[in-house]
Amino acid sequence: MSSLDPVLLEILGNKFASVTEEMCLTLQRTGRTLYVKETADFACALAGLDGRFFAYPRSIGVSGFVGLECLPAIEAVIATQGALEPGDVILTNDPYRSTGLATHLPDLHMIEPYFHDGEIVAYGWCFVHCSDVGGRVASSISPVNTEIFQEGLRIPPVKLMRRGEMSPEVKLFLDANSRTPEANMGDIRAMLASLATGRRRVAQMLGQHGAFELTAAQEALMSYAAGKAEAVLRQMPEGRYSFADYLDDDAASRLPVRVAVTIEIKDGKVHLDFTGTDPQVATAMNIPSCGRPHAWLTLRMLALVQTLDRSAPLNAGLLRPLSITTPLGSLVNPEEPAATGVRHAAAIRVNDILNGAFGIALPDVLPAAASGTVIPIVMSEPKPTGGRMVQVIEPLIGGTGARRGHDGVDGRDSGISNLANNPVETVEAELGVEVLHYALRSDSGGAGQWRGGCGMELSFRVLTDGSHVLGRGMERLLFRPWGQAGGQPGQPGSLVINEGHPRERRLGKIDVLEVQAGDIVTFRTPGAGGWGDPMQRAPEAVLADVEAGFVTAERARRDYGVALTGGRIDTEATAALRSAAGTNAGTVFGPERDTWDGVFAPALMDRLNAALLALPLSRRQSRRREIFETVLADLPTNFPRSPVSDTQREAAARRLETCLNTI
Amino acid sequence: MKDLAIGATGTTGRLRIGIDVGGTFTDFVMADAETGRVALYKEPSTPDDPSRALIEGLDKFLAREGMAASDVGGLMHGTTIGLNAIIMRRGAKIGLIVTKGYRDILEIARCRMPSSFDLHAQKEVPLVPRARVVEIDARFDRDGKLTRAPSEAELDRVAREVSALGLDAAALMLINGYADPETEAGIAKALSDRIEALSISSAAAIWPEIREYERTLVACLNAYIQPLMDAYFARLTEGLARIGVTAPLLVTASNGGSLSVGSAVARPVETILSGPASGVMAAVRQAGQSGMDNIITFDMGGTSSDMAVATEGTAGIATRTDIGGLPLVLPVVDVNAIGAGGGSIIWADAQGVLKVGPQSAGAHPGPVSYGRGGTEPAVTDCFIASGFIDPANFGGGSMPLDGDAARAALEAVAERIGMSGEDRAARLAEGALAVASAGMAGSLFRTMAERGLDPRDFVLLPFGGAGPTHANLLAEEIGIARILVPQAAGAYCAMGAAGADLRRDFVRSLRAGLTEASAADAEATFAALQAEGEAWLDDELPEIAERRAERSADMRYAGQAYELRVDLRPGDDAAAYAEAFHREHERIYGFRDAGAPVEIGTIRLAMIGAGQPLAPSTATGTGAPVRTRRPLYYKGAWVEASVYDRAGLGEGAKITGPAVVEQPETTTVILPGWAARVDEQGNLIIERTPA
Repeated sequence: MSSLDPVLLEILGNKFASVTEEMCLTLQRTGRTLYVKETADFACALAGLDGRFFAYPRSIGVSGFVGLECLPAIEAVIATQGALEPGDVILTNDPYRSTGLATHLPDLHMIEPYFHDGEIVAYGWCFVHCSDVGGRVASSISPVNTEIFQEGLRIPPVKLMRRGEMSPEVKLFLDANSRTPEANMGDIRAMLASLATGRRRVAQMLGQHGAFELTAAQEALMSYAAGKAEAVLRQMPEGRYSFADYLDDDAASRLPVRVAVTIEIKDGKVHLDFTGTDPQVATAMNIPSCGRPHAWLTLRMLALVQTLDRSAPLNAGLLRPLSITTPLGSLVNPEEPAATGVRHAAAIRVNDILNGAFGIALPDVLPAAASGTVIPIVMSEPKPTGGRMVQVIEPLIGGTGARRGHDGVDGRDSGISNLANNPVETVEAELGVEVLHYALRSDSGGAGQWRGGCGMELSFRVLTDGSHVLGRGMERLLFRPWGQAGGQPGQPGSLVINEGHPRERRLGKIDVLEVQAGDIVTFRTPGAGGWGDPMQRAPEAVLADVEAGFVTAERARRDYGVALTGGRIDTEATAALRSAAGTNAGTVFGPERDTWDGVFAPALMDRLNAALLALPLSRRQSRRREIFETVLADLPTNFPRSPVSDTQREAAARRLETCLNTI
Repeated sequence: MKDLAIGATGTTGRLRIGIDVGGTFTDFVMADAETGRVALYKEPSTPDDPSRALIEGLDKFLAREGMAASDVGGLMHGTTIGLNAIIMRRGAKIGLIVTKGYRDILEIARCRMPSSFDLHAQKEVPLVPRARVVEIDARFDRDGKLTRAPSEAELDRVAREVSALGLDAAALMLINGYADPETEAGIAKALSDRIEALSISSAAAIWPEIREYERTLVACLNAYIQPLMDAYFARLTEGLARIGVTAPLLVTASNGGSLSVGSAVARPVETILSGPASGVMAAVRQAGQSGMDNIITFDMGGTSSDMAVATEGTAGIATRTDIGGLPLVLPVVDVNAIGAGGGSIIWADAQGVLKVGPQSAGAHPGPVSYGRGGTEPAVTDCFIASGFIDPANFGGGSMPLDGDAARAALEAVAERIGMSGEDRAARLAEGALAVASAGMAGSLFRTMAERGLDPRDFVLLPFGGAGPTHANLLAEEIGIARILVPQAAGAYCAMGAAGADLRRDFVRSLRAGLTEASAADAEATFAALQAEGEAWLDDELPEIAERRAERSADMRYAGQAYELRVDLRPGDDAAAYAEAFHREHERIYGFRDAGAPVEIGTIRLAMIGAGQPLAPSTATGTGAPVRTRRPLYYKGAWVEASVYDRAGLGEGAKITGPAVVEQPETTTVILPGWAARVDEQGNLIIERTPA
């Protein structure tokens, strides 16, 4: 492996990682806005001369950006604004002009070159999700934006700081293009403070260890991590593994959005090919990867290595054995000017398909699908003094998927973010709501030899007329979190107003919902997928779930073939039920997906997406819409929620074939 | 129970004895009020019944010192029984009664996983399984109004369900109960009265702070360890009586103070982190006597090392700590784990990179040199291979270690990372100690960065068995220029116990915008809490004369998601509250927002009854006689070090590194480039020699 002494390597690895955490703590301490203080939507790291992160914080800030690349932004600045000098700091937020360093406009990214004896020895990097960068809506993000121009001020890589002085021109542009210029400047100053912390601590390390060791360590740490990743990949059977999944819709239409991947594992390396993924959408869910092995597309790979080797250092070397194909113009490599504001929504499903594909290779290691949803439930109510009070009630998530030997975790899921919830008492102290029910959702976890984690249920009574409820991020209301190895999928999510009352309304996805005092709003998040044939689950484990209330006695009988009488297992009846049940195997997507695939078969979808991508960008969306309208024309309006007849299915599939042949 | 322990308040014994029960040893410190002498003693712990080692050790210690049981005037004792029961989930069978709709309060917790990257991460095991949580149709609104009052029939139903669970104890938590603890306590009593021999504690009565999950945990943790602690203190009091010790027994608390046995049994949750807290309090007192107000304590134990920060002579207090994966919101001395301990294992990964921990050999089997079956080398084995500790003289010779086995085990690891040659055991040991130091320094830098402090402005104060051995390496790594090694460093938690104040924290959540009216409310609340505190002290030890109350409040700018704890004084008005908050915000976060409205959240009052100050320790010997010499491995070479006996060092003695100072409880290493002197209290002050 590396040429550096294995003791020094460990020491410097620890120290560099610790410097990045100190940078984060400085940023968090001095930052001003909610995103910094509460949700820790920021990160800091150290990059080498190749612009890749050789040190990244483990326990604070956004964990997923290890794979970002700084070099394109650095080169763009040098090409247009001259060489970097001590005290210069680059600022950018534009996904396209920073070649994927930034991934949506509210994320402000900064890079500072760290010098030693007139030479750059490393770069400090940090980003913050700031409050607002202008655009069509407050806070700049809306799922229904169609172009990046609606999403706010685009900042191409520029020198914000020149030799330690803030560029007045850049500041004027920034201040003029935000609804919250002061808060933004507060966060920018916190970012500069964190970069200064990094500079000071790197200088201290240079004094202790010398420039030669420090630069040698950067490469050594990356190749050390690469060695760890390769060792993990070599544990996997070589081969090609394909997996596809759907987002319920693209936020503007009811058409599902497909993400697909084929991974090829060979010789300690892995290639991810996203061919078969839908064309970019006319909403803000696109992931601007710029064709690179981007952080948003490779997160699961990092998590997998870290899971199988906890001693692996967290740096970009983990991605060295990985290469990628992302069709240009697709959801995962959109062309300018695609909107990208809510790219994390698609990233959640990217995580799921990588999980599914790696799960075929390593069935004993990877779990079934997690609930795959993060819904910050936001309440906006009129204040007596005028204006509106806006506050998160709870960020609702679901559970984690089961895996061989372990049930999923109920009501927790750190797959995308690891946010804390809000105490109900502080919510009630500030908002006009009464939280009636904040609980795990019984029977929602997918049945399996190991049960999927339960989703959650939040029910609250509105106390103020004219309030608005926002539930962005609702997903898996249609396509369920799939089960693995014969495990069943979790229950889909739902939203009900005044459940059980005469005024009951069952709603699908909402953006903004107007409610009145007395209304009761109930959100349910999906349960996660189960693992293994539920008929193989130990009856004692089923009984324990029934006693704890995670599973009802009816479902114990129906889903697990376990009969309970008077709180005890009826052994004979159980044996009879189980021998009558068929066996379950493979990935189980659930009835909606099966119905969908009956018409839109995977092979046809691959062909469709290839054909659509061959069209010019301007015609792709409209052509796609036409095709789906044609195919769906004679199907029931709630397709694929209810099953269709064979005749209907075959006719629709024939229409799809015809369309494919005439694109 | 309480009368038995406190009954003998008339005793005038000259000795105060501090006792700390650790995993390996039970430490004793005896302070003699007549002579000012301080003596230390260690007895191997008896984990199956910790009171046994305590009683037997105390008996032997008194005999060794030629003292009678009647000479004992006070006993202060810290125990980890509660903490261990929580970590191992071996507490009582408890149940929980909660507002309807909140059955999953412990399952959901704060919704976070312990790790973001681990696909196999699991959540913590809840203290009360879901099947033992019963819902009750009762809750308050945010103003403390009982909007769902439980009917008699509902109380009967809940009582029946709870009764059927066969519990040792139970807790009740109602939503918004913090706003009216008396009413919640009344409902708890109404339930208790319906169930024979089951005590049901009200969460709001124990700790009336807003945030339902955290408050529920306080009540559950309390109930979970109560039966154990009750039984333990009963055994202990009985054992003390058997050997004729009738002096009052005080129990040290996590907030750095102490409580009577009666209070500790009623609220054992307040004692669970008392050991480390006592050590920090002893360090703050010791450093203060030597005129040093800004210190970082460094406690290196068997499985890990801890640090704490004191500024201006006051130890930091945290109101959110982690206990076995569960958050605890009671105020505790802010102690942070920073990495390797003496038992941390040294290993090489598949890529041939050297690692230290996180696995630990603990006390059993312990490091290889312990000869108890450990096969993987640990940090303590590195101290031996480097010459830092003398295996023959470990524990003052009471527990000789196997140096050859330690070196052989280290050599095996050295080979795995491609290290060869004659001194490979020593070289590997030096490398591993450097890895350990770098890890500790990183954690320490992070802790300081969070508070906006620079560690180089601080004095390092090591204690614990291995603290003084490793302190100089750590100081070099951090860039700290001065180290203070107290005489009793090896039994410092016991030392802290011996000098502890009585202290209890009280809390009430207000949650209001800061106005003249709400400031007046806060003043009234402070006055009520102070009256409660005074009554507690009267009950605890009425003869305590020196009393004081410390006031603080959690405040924030309206809309902020985080709060700051701000110290306040009696008689402060709204303007004074606001200014105190702005000032603290500016100190921690670097800015103030003078125009923004300020909100006041939780009101806190600490009631303190000052303990008798321990007489300052004194140097015991004269001069600085060199006992022997031995080589230390440092920066890739052997250097000849003088070895001193700590007991032989007199005030003003000067020692130049490389040197080793040995005492039965610990060994202090002074590196080349550093020098030490003994101050009038017998502390070793180690400082970098000017280049």
